[in-house]
Amino acid sequence: MSETTNGKSDIIALNKVGKTFWRGKERLDVLQELDLTMKEGSFEALMGPSGSGKSTLLNLIAGLDVPSSGSLRVAGVELSQMSEGDRAGFRAANIGFVFQTYNLLPVLTALENVELPLLLAKLPAAERRKRAQTALKVVGLEDRMSHYPRQLSGGQEQRVTIARAIVSDPKIIVADEPTGDLDRHAANEILNLLGKLNTEFNKTIVMVTHDPAAAERASICHRLDKGALAL
Amino acid sequence: MIPISYNVRSLLVRKTTTLATAGGIALVVFVLAAALMLSSGVKKTLVAGGRDDNAIVLRKGSGNELSSSIESNTVSLILAAPGVKKDDTGAPLGSGEVIVVIAQEKLGAKPGQVSNILVRGVAENVLKLRPEARLVAGRSPKPGTDECLIGKGIAGNFRGMSLGEKFELKKNRPVEVVGVFEAGGSSFESEVWVNVETARTSFGREGLVSSVTVRLESPAKLDAFKANVSTDKQLQLEAKRETTYYEEQSQGTALFIAGMGWVVSVFCAFGAMLGAMNTMFAAVAQRKREVGTLRALGFSKFSILSSFVLESTVLAVVGGLIGLGASLLLSFARVSMMNFATWQEVSFSFSPTPRLLIGSLVAGALMGILGGFLPALKAARTSPIEAMRG
Repeated sequence: MSETTNGKSDIIALNKVGKTFWRGKERLDVLQELDLTMKEGSFEALMGPSGSGKSTLLNLIAGLDVPSSGSLRVAGVELSQMSEGDRAGFRAANIGFVFQTYNLLPVLTALENVELPLLLAKLPAAERRKRAQTALKVVGLEDRMSHYPRQLSGGQEQRVTIARAIVSDPKIIVADEPTGDLDRHAANEILNLLGKLNTEFNKTIVMVTHDPAAAERASICHRLDKGALAL
Repeated sequence: MIPISYNVRSLLVRKTTTLATAGGIALVVFVLAAALMLSSGVKKTLVAGGRDDNAIVLRKGSGNELSSSIESNTVSLILAAPGVKKDDTGAPLGSGEVIVVIAQEKLGAKPGQVSNILVRGVAENVLKLRPEARLVAGRSPKPGTDECLIGKGIAGNFRGMSLGEKFELKKNRPVEVVGVFEAGGSSFESEVWVNVETARTSFGREGLVSSVTVRLESPAKLDAFKANVSTDKQLQLEAKRETTYYEEQSQGTALFIAGMGWVVSVFCAFGAMLGAMNTMFAAVAQRKREVGTLRALGFSKFSILSSFVLESTVLAVVGGLIGLGASLLLSFARVSMMNFATWQEVSFSFSPTPRLLIGSLVAGALMGILGGFLPALKAARTSPIEAMRG
């Protein structure tokens, strides 16, 4: 990670990143020579109209996909040439995910859902359980541990997702429209929680959102348009 | 690894399809286990008729008692061979026996339907030679009379074959049933035992026997006995250990049943495997986002593949256990069928053994593994980006 003048290093650095998709013979340049840096411990929002490339950018930062061109360093690791298997290991170690539709496994309890990422960490079962319980306490759901997702409200489900995202103590949390399916009250709770993770736990948060109120909670808001940063 | 509870609970969520698929696999395992149990029962029933310390002598090349013919005056030479045990009176323990098959009307079947019954013309010392046979009703036949014993496997199942009844051994040659015996579940229990002279005179076998059975001093004496019996090339005789003989006799029928079982099972297995495959493909399609989420969280392709193969295997094992449970109920039943070696009807039971039960279950599990592999491969190839799609 590169050191900067204010003492915080760049945890995410994109250098001329491009992403091209092919629809049959039609070429779609979704991201074009994008230069972007994000500092460790920052809370940054990505906004833009549909098709602007913000989700594609989030996928690249999260290590779910690789750029077609350019260099992409996240948490000190160059991702652009990394194999799929290595990226899975990278995600498990460095990225926490918060999805718009929560993506909890419906047949597992809240505690079991939160425990999932720890299964990749070779921890003893008791330790896994303890850490998952702690994560659920952080999000205020210690009394819902044995509940299944169908027994929780949307806001509670999203809080379980956040607990799952932080349980393995990743450096970065990527949130894709985290309030998109919630009412204003629940959305505020989630945004407060993300703010707490940023300020109290020093997590770097990258959030894609259409909601201006959500974007206001971020310290920096990047606007994308047609695959490039809008000035 | 992904916890197995995820797979088990996912199966329970889809109760109907899970039950239907498990039912298909249960059926295959049931058919396979039943056929193997029957095949094992055939073997057990036929081999149980033999003893390690008994030897049977047949005409060389005859293959079985029914097609063997030995001159009566040879019997004393065979009984005098070294290694033959003597009884309390010093007489050699052995006898020549006449084997014939008669057709007898079966009770409870269509009128006029007959089945083959094996009639064994035996010497008076037959119960000494085969101590595993014991009377369970009635008495032993009196010497020189047309009285007979019947095995409990046929008692009451054929016209005239109940204690105190008479049936015609041959036209105008009635014999009376004076006793019923059991013989440890062996094929003897499906036979009629009459005096050897009665059998000879009834079927024109004067001066002949079908086989000679002797008790050896010990099982180890067989080689010496065999060498002596087969020395005289003119006699053209061959001796075998009795257990070996009955094992050979059981092979044709046992193999046929097991073979039929495998053929039917393999055909059914294709159907069941396609069912399992279909169920698992549907499960993968339904849970695309869940799989994408697991991939996003960092679970490898191999973890996903093994998780879905495991799920399919669990499904198949559950089906297999149901099938095995149902097949075990068959062990309370007995079936009558033709022994291909003697063309007689023999009563068999389904005989489960740990080996064949485990084998049938493994075959069921294999269906799950094979049927689940392609859907699991598809699941493993799910892109983690699927998790991000709304």
